[in-house]
Amino acid sequence: MTRGYAPDRGRSGHDSASTPDPHLTAVDAPPAARARGLRKVFGSTVAVDGVDLDVPSGAVLGMLGPNGSGKTTLIRLLLGLTRPTAGSAELLGMPMPDRAAAVLPRVGALVEGPGFHPFLSGRENLRRVAAAEPLLRTREIPRAVDAALERVGLADAANRPYRGYSLGMKERLGLAGALLLPRRLVVLDEPTNGLDPAGTRDVRAIIAELHADGATVVVSSHLLTEVEATCTHVAVLQSGALIAAGELHTLLDAGTTGLVVSTPDVDLALHTLRGIGAAVYRDEAEPSAVVVPDGPSAPEVVALLVRAGVAVHEARRRRPRLEELFARLTEGTP
Amino acid sequence: MTALDTGVPKAAPFTRLLAAEVRWVLRRPRTLVMLGLFALIPVLIAIGVRVADRQAGPGRGLIGAVAGNGLVLPVAAMTVALGLLLPLAVAMAAADAIAGEAAAGTLRGLLLAPVGRLRLVVVKASGVLVVAAAAVLALAVVGVLAGLLVVGGPPGQLVTLSGSTIGTTEALGRVTLVALWTVGQLAAVGAVALAVSAFTEHPLVVLAAVLGGLIIFGVLGAIPALDWLQPVLLTSGWTAGVDALRDPMPLDGLADATLRALWYLAAGAAVVVLRMLRRDA
Repeated sequence: MTRGYAPDRGRSGHDSASTPDPHLTAVDAPPAARARGLRKVFGSTVAVDGVDLDVPSGAVLGMLGPNGSGKTTLIRLLLGLTRPTAGSAELLGMPMPDRAAAVLPRVGALVEGPGFHPFLSGRENLRRVAAAEPLLRTREIPRAVDAALERVGLADAANRPYRGYSLGMKERLGLAGALLLPRRLVVLDEPTNGLDPAGTRDVRAIIAELHADGATVVVSSHLLTEVEATCTHVAVLQSGALIAAGELHTLLDAGTTGLVVSTPDVDLALHTLRGIGAAVYRDEAEPSAVVVPDGPSAPEVVALLVRAGVAVHEARRRRPRLEELFARLTEGTP
Repeated sequence: MTALDTGVPKAAPFTRLLAAEVRWVLRRPRTLVMLGLFALIPVLIAIGVRVADRQAGPGRGLIGAVAGNGLVLPVAAMTVALGLLLPLAVAMAAADAIAGEAAAGTLRGLLLAPVGRLRLVVVKASGVLVVAAAAVLALAVVGVLAGLLVVGGPPGQLVTLSGSTIGTTEALGRVTLVALWTVGQLAAVGAVALAVSAFTEHPLVVLAAVLGGLIIFGVLGAIPALDWLQPVLLTSGWTAGVDALRDPMPLDGLADATLRALWYLAAGAAVVVLRMLRRDA
């Protein structure tokens, strides 16, 4: 199980002292992906700096981070496309890149955008990819290719040359390449790049299907609402270091919780609540609301306010959006 | 559908990979244009010889020897093309094979499938070899046809540069020998070009390197003071194909060039393999 790791490297002892994941069928299944002290240096640039990460089997992990924070490099290290300067990577319980031949057939990936040849049609490109897939039998290839094209909504454009594809169609074809056969792990690097809203919805649906089938999904994105909608886990990178990782709702709940009370009588509400010693402040986002971060329970607060003659229009739990959490994490660290 | 969880999966069948590679190579528009141009070379020479005066014969250079002696044409076409055009074609194929795939982002896809890195080198080398063989085949076949149909010649025979005549069967055998020998020389060029290709993701770098290398070899080979360099220059034996037109056929020129090509081939292959085993994608 992934925990929220402090950004300092060299901290050890966070081995999977885990709570069981609801999606695990076998409790002792190895993490679908694991990084230990993973570090990659290009020249004088430290792209990935001592990352420890476990992606539990069956999770949908959203990898977040500003541009250049090392998301793609971390993914490439996990997939064995590049060798780490230090540390180790594992996929499906096997070390990478040494066991790539055994692991990668069960892994679908779309990394650094779709890569295809412009002079071939979408179908021909996909057939070429399929020919290299160890787990596809030769006679299954035409059907697998057609099914993948259908799944990403490219069946109608399959015979057009890739050259003429729009950005979104190219992205869809890349996705089709990752979905040629059932996978245990699917890694998608910015899969919604260039997609229209319908395309984004399709990707979300595909991720949900993969999740329902028990596959693990790692998806990097800068679209936070996207991640919030589809992911069970998140990992936040900044400057190559992992600054937070864990289950999405745990991370969100660990953020500011509390009660937001909408009222026209803000001053009276503040006065009343401070009278019982509660920490309370004006909501910066909403002028006619107060925030009660901790302390008295919601019924207590509402009863108190009503008795004091405060008109309570609405009272709701404050649940920070991923966006706020992300902003706090990435701006809070130097 | 597939045995997803039973043991270590086998790699994709090698013949399937090879077929996919060859299909990709031969579907590439530039390959087809290039093969068309190679087919045009013997035709152009044939027409040129036909149109030019008929007094040609031995002693008027290789092209001159084609006149009235059609089976000389394929050998002449291959020898002329080996000077620059064939190496360029092979360099282009090698550039696309690795650097081009890296530039298109498709090399990553192949490594992720995964295609083992060693297998990938073998598949890529095969693709380059197919282009070399196809280009030489185009020159040889069209050369024979154009030689017989456009140029004509003494029926059923070939007049050698030495003045004797040999029969059609033996003449065709010699054309085949020159074709194979030419493909061998091109394999050496291809191995070196693939080695460059393995280090870059810019196909143009490969073309520039091979072209530059050929020019430098040509210059070095032309400087008398540097005669001692001749045995190590790949290009220095590249006119040996003409030996097939002599009677009796001297074999040492062809053999020397083949040996030299083998050295280049081995060096290039070693560099490609070492580099591709480590290359990031």
